[in-house]
Amino acid sequence: MRARIAYSKLEESKYIAHLDLARVFERAMRRADIPVAYSEGFNPHPKISFGSALAVGVEGEKEYVDVELQREMDIGEVLGRLQEQLPKGIRLLEGRVMAPGSKALMAVLNSASYRVRLAMALPITSERLQEALDSWLAQEHVTYSRYSKKGPTEKDIRPLVKSLTGEIKGEEVFLELEVEVGSQGGVRPEEVMRSLRELENLPLDLDSIYIKRTGIYVSYQGQSFSPFEHEDFEPDRSKREAR
Amino acid sequence: MSMMTAAEIRQQVERFLPQVSKPNRYLGTEWNSIHKDWDQTAVHMVFAFPDVYEVGMSHLGTRILYHLVNSFPEFVCERTFAPWVDMEEKMRDRDIPLYALESFRQLKEFDVVGFTLQYEMSFSNILNMLDLAGIPLRTAARTEEDPWIIAGGPCAYNPEPLAAFIDFFLIGESEEQLPQVLKLIEEQKEQPLGRQEFLQRIAQVQGVYVPELYEISYKPDGRLEKISAAAGVPLVVEKAIVTDLDQAFFPTNPIVPYMEIVHDRMMLEVMRGCSRGCRFCQAGMIYRPVRERSPEILLTQAEELVRSTGYEEVSLTSLSTGDYTCVQPVIREIISKYGPQRIGVSLPSLRLDSFDVKLAEEVQKVRKSGLTFAPEAGTQRLRDVINKGVTEKNLLEASETAFKAGWSSIKLYFMIGLPTEMQADLDGIADLAKKVADLGSKQGRRNVKVTVSTSSFVPKSHTPFQWEPQEGMRSLEEKQQYLRAKLKDRRIKYNYHDVNTSFLEAVFAKGDRRLAEVLERAFRQGCRFDGWSEQFRYDTWLQAFAELGVDPHFYAHRALDYDDVLPWDHLDSGVSKRFLMEEHHRALRGTRTLDCRHDDCTGCGICPGRGVQVDLKG
Repeated sequence: MRARIAYSKLEESKYIAHLDLARVFERAMRRADIPVAYSEGFNPHPKISFGSALAVGVEGEKEYVDVELQREMDIGEVLGRLQEQLPKGIRLLEGRVMAPGSKALMAVLNSASYRVRLAMALPITSERLQEALDSWLAQEHVTYSRYSKKGPTEKDIRPLVKSLTGEIKGEEVFLELEVEVGSQGGVRPEEVMRSLRELENLPLDLDSIYIKRTGIYVSYQGQSFSPFEHEDFEPDRSKREAR
Repeated sequence: MSMMTAAEIRQQVERFLPQVSKPNRYLGTEWNSIHKDWDQTAVHMVFAFPDVYEVGMSHLGTRILYHLVNSFPEFVCERTFAPWVDMEEKMRDRDIPLYALESFRQLKEFDVVGFTLQYEMSFSNILNMLDLAGIPLRTAARTEEDPWIIAGGPCAYNPEPLAAFIDFFLIGESEEQLPQVLKLIEEQKEQPLGRQEFLQRIAQVQGVYVPELYEISYKPDGRLEKISAAAGVPLVVEKAIVTDLDQAFFPTNPIVPYMEIVHDRMMLEVMRGCSRGCRFCQAGMIYRPVRERSPEILLTQAEELVRSTGYEEVSLTSLSTGDYTCVQPVIREIISKYGPQRIGVSLPSLRLDSFDVKLAEEVQKVRKSGLTFAPEAGTQRLRDVINKGVTEKNLLEASETAFKAGWSSIKLYFMIGLPTEMQADLDGIADLAKKVADLGSKQGRRNVKVTVSTSSFVPKSHTPFQWEPQEGMRSLEEKQQYLRAKLKDRRIKYNYHDVNTSFLEAVFAKGDRRLAEVLERAFRQGCRFDGWSEQFRYDTWLQAFAELGVDPHFYAHRALDYDDVLPWDHLDSGVSKRFLMEEHHRALRGTRTLDCRHDDCTGCGICPGRGVQVDLKG
């Protein structure tokens, strides 16, 4: 049986790295006595797969995981028993049994929304902020350089940002952004912030950054759906039918 | 340093935690971690591991003592580890003191800070942690406002280099001793005695060593003249010991970290002690006698561990698990019971002669891992000197069966610089490695990989080789280069330990109180994490020795006489000095001493008068 579970990853649990999260779930399932299915082969691994990775230190309001079980179980019971064994901060929100053969989370999730909060190094007005965002969004290409062990790589991050809005509350800036995610590699919110600081001279204090992923979606024809819903409309099929 | 509250520390730390590597090291909210009410507990202890979290959390003794202390309603035990350099920098920048993970309270708020001494190269981290905690380094500078700084673990058998910094040491096994100590600290809190009076009192507990109650005098040539004890404390401090492992406390609800640690699995301690009698091995001497745990108890513990941790692997730990008399039935039972839940078994420290390929095959049914053998020396002559009861035939047979059973990579551990080592012994290492690789090739394995690792012999206190010097660094390096050239074979990989690190380890392993100045100076000049090659600052250490006029070679490279007073002569592991001398003689003659589990009593001295005996369950 394949179950898709939505959960939040808040507070201290935001520090659990993506690679460690699979082990956290595997051990929680064993403590909960929920029989996870394992892959075949030399080094069998549990069939637990996540959507797009959440960076260490970033909270997630609604994330998803697919787990395959060795036998049929009541989904409510799975959620109840698993919840008791999970670290503080991980709350299970919703679960559904998926049809066999339905697409993996990784294959369907393609957009994410974030809320970012930062302190300002210098006070600015709301108008100044709006100008900066408009100007940044007006560009067709925004090159961002990433530095890794292999050296710098350049990337055009502008097409990956679908929307970007912001407001000032007290001494802090709050921004909402929607970005593309997927196998091509996405853009991280802090990269957009760094770019705003560099290109638009926004006095953002990047050390104070707080990021929360507010959602992750299946976007199709300008609309966002949850991965629970996507099977109901099945973009591939509707495309075919439209043709 | 400011007296920051737990809430202030937490708030500040959370601000920069996303920017440090592995933030889960610093949180203390792991599964099964224990958060007790501060005001409802009488004695507050923090267990301090002087290395990073993932190393400390892998240590079985740490797991045992954390849960042991917390099993008493009146005590609380929290944890702290050496913050990695990036975290330390951020803490120092913001004046944040070292804190305990569970409560975020700074160490100064606790009654007891207990360090574990696993390795000499962690000594500088102890000073750094005290400094980060805002606690004066030296016992002489501390007041009754400061916590008691205590330490235990294998290096407490020669704790003299740390004597100026630690109020008292716990020698031996702490399961019974530590609660007694905490009880006395509870009484001290209720009705305080003067420092001297309290230390006199605590010194009456089995295995407690209070360095300031012992005076050391030196001869003009630098050797020790005399160790004298204050009135009313034992002349010789004898280790504390657990008589029955089945009755000893063992936690079945260990902490399960949210990040990968070095030994990330359940651990079952199948036995304590090893009487094979390898003459270089301190653990083999200080943990005597061999005491096994009953299979029924182990299986009950396994069941509880699986339920409370959800781990996917259980390790049967001890100094030599292949020697545990019930190892086969225990493994079979665990595999048949938990195999369906995909729980595997791992066996660290397999030995060649006790190595049963069937055993390894059973273990491998569920999960695959490499095989490691430790012949330690390259020739039979030298193996007899060190009393490593393993023959070339044992090694080759074991390797052949392993290759036949499907393994393709084997690791071999050796030591160089052992007493009496000759050219032939080095050649022997290379020959053995080649023979093993050839066996693999002959079995038709195409991806044969033999990894040879050599460490440099470090003479340790309380062993038959405690009188031996360490070999000179240049000569050790030449031996490494010689082996490197001899082991040029695409199937063989050669690793060796840094000789500078081994040298410093020898200095502190055989050191005395006069090293305190050097240790403090080196720490002030930035030495810490000396066991981590990328952090080790050998030149800074040499400079500290030179500036203070202390000769490190005096400690590492000098052969000691039998009538020399040794810096650890007042600390007794239960194995008599006479036995160690006899063993040293036998070593130099190449005479073996057999294991008392299967042969006559060797007269090491551990059993008589202590209410303990060799305890086998099979």
